[in-house]
Amino acid sequence: MKILIIEDEASLGRDMVKYLTNEKFRCEWVSNYVAAMEKVGNYNYDCIVLDLMLPGGDGLEILDALKKLQKQDGVIIISAKNSIENKVAGLKLGADDYLSKPFHLAELSARIESIVRRKQFDSQNLIIQNELTIDLRSKTVEVNKNQVILTKKEFDLLLFFVGNKGRVLSKSAMAEHLSGDYSDMFDNHDFIYAHVKNLKKKLKDAGYGDYIKTMYGSGYKWQQ
Amino acid sequence: MTRLLNKPLKAFGFYALIILLTSIPVYVLVVDYIWLTELDESNWLTLQHTKEKLQSREFTEADILKINQIWGELQPGVSIVKSDHKIPEDSIYEAMRPNEFDPYDSEDRFRGLKSQLKINGYLYEITIETNVEESNETLLAVAIVTISFFIILILGFILLNRNISLKSWRPFYQTLNSLKSFDLSKDQHLKLPHSDIEEFKELNKSLLNLVEKNVAAYERQKSFTENASHELQTPIALLKSKLDLLLQERGLTPQINELLSGIHAPLSRLSRINKNLVVLAKVENNQIGEPEYLKVTDQINSSFALFEDYIIAKNHSIEQKFENILNVHANPFLLETLLTNFLSNAIRHTPNGGNIKVQLKNRTLIFSNSGRNELIHKHMFERFSPTSKNQITSGLGLAIIKEIANKYGWKVAYQFENGFHIFSIEF
Repeated sequence: MKILIIEDEASLGRDMVKYLTNEKFRCEWVSNYVAAMEKVGNYNYDCIVLDLMLPGGDGLEILDALKKLQKQDGVIIISAKNSIENKVAGLKLGADDYLSKPFHLAELSARIESIVRRKQFDSQNLIIQNELTIDLRSKTVEVNKNQVILTKKEFDLLLFFVGNKGRVLSKSAMAEHLSGDYSDMFDNHDFIYAHVKNLKKKLKDAGYGDYIKTMYGSGYKWQQ
Repeated sequence: MTRLLNKPLKAFGFYALIILLTSIPVYVLVVDYIWLTELDESNWLTLQHTKEKLQSREFTEADILKINQIWGELQPGVSIVKSDHKIPEDSIYEAMRPNEFDPYDSEDRFRGLKSQLKINGYLYEITIETNVEESNETLLAVAIVTISFFIILILGFILLNRNISLKSWRPFYQTLNSLKSFDLSKDQHLKLPHSDIEEFKELNKSLLNLVEKNVAAYERQKSFTENASHELQTPIALLKSKLDLLLQERGLTPQINELLSGIHAPLSRLSRINKNLVVLAKVENNQIGEPEYLKVTDQINSSFALFEDYIIAKNHSIEQKFENILNVHANPFLLETLLTNFLSNAIRHTPNGGNIKVQLKNRTLIFSNSGRNELIHKHMFERFSPTSKNQITSGLGLAIIKEIANKYGWKVAYQFENGFHIFSIEF
């Protein structure tokens, strides 16, 4: 799958490419308006990560162009302009999601996963991981056809793990995923331990392999 | 407190009173003096006239007696009687005695002139008396007149004063009112009335100058906050993404991992301070979207849901009491920010296992949470002002609350009671 990253800050653009690139995703990165328009006009992407403040033009115009070209690319806006107006304008113009800077790369990855999944034509709203089946529409989880009852937060965390397979997730990123933008009002995110512990236990009890690894001192990792 | 214009009025009134009071005895003395001099002169003229007439003709002793008798009947003030001893010269005297024509007045004052003359070789004493107003009666009359005039004077002063105050001082009071209602965070220009009076013109000019400088300084401060916070967003975003990438590196020792996760807390604090500065700049610059009608309780419930994990982790007990439904007209983002700030403050600062109460009564929302020591009231709603010694905060939460409340004209207050920090907001 192809992802286009439109971000003027070179260092951040490269970080995103590095983090997101894996066996599933191929990333391209452009840093200005003209180059972005060219890419958008000539190719199709599964997801476009769009920074609104670009040298040479407004990111919202790219969104507008996409709409005029009747492209189906998923778009996630990332902006330092942490404002509701931008968010509303972007979503109105057809963006699928909005993430304000600064964000955790894990969060971006999970959001892209979610957008890509929604855009897939053959979408059954099912994620199948070995013996695990996640039904996104009914928000249910089955292991070997046995239903596992998860709390809303455990379900969210499970999706977060699945969207960041093979990557180390910090407690801070997980707390931000659960409590949103306001999680940085708190210094202590120890409650994550409890949620992960419960999630692990429930999945294990249902017969799922122990894929969630505790990375001592840094967080957790979904490893298959 | 005295109004500026009442001060001279009091002084003028007091001065007029003193002058008029001292004028009363002076008038009395002057009037009395004039009275007496005139009467003495009149008596003397009558005396001269009478003497001349008496001496110009030959009157017998019996004639004189007759004349005196007629005088006594017709003009009681004059008399002529035989005298047996010589007095050296004319003399003036005053006498008090009852006046037969004025029974209501106990005694009248008389001014007399006594003289002697020889008729037919006999020595006669001639007296001429005139009734004079007593000085105490003069005093009374003068006092009444003076006090009446004093009252008229004071009434005049008050009227004039009011008139002057209304007309000449109007620009001054208008200026004062404009200054009172001037709000640096809202107004860009101070509107002052035109005045013909030199001093007021100068005053207005200086004020405009001062305000202009303040507005400029305020604008600079605002744009600094805005620019600084926007400039900081990118480096913070970079730090966050680098840290995420670093975590993915293979071969990190537990010690390095420990260090890396130690960076998260200060980084989120930095990020929070910056987000708060962005919000403050937005509220200050009125870059806030349209207001909507919002249900306060809904927002509180969603904030609670958002922070549920933190509440459970700290084992706080929560008590909610909403007595009524309250709708406010505000921007959703600002209301959310305000309420999450109140709630997150309560959660963070309450010792583990403490109580948090949220009450809504009429238009007042109260957040109370258990605590040990009263917070430092002074400047508590100002930016980066320390409210207690041992807490790590962004230092902006309460400032944001205050700024948002000010924007919508809501009132925030803090008190410490029975071991509870009580923050209230009146919508």
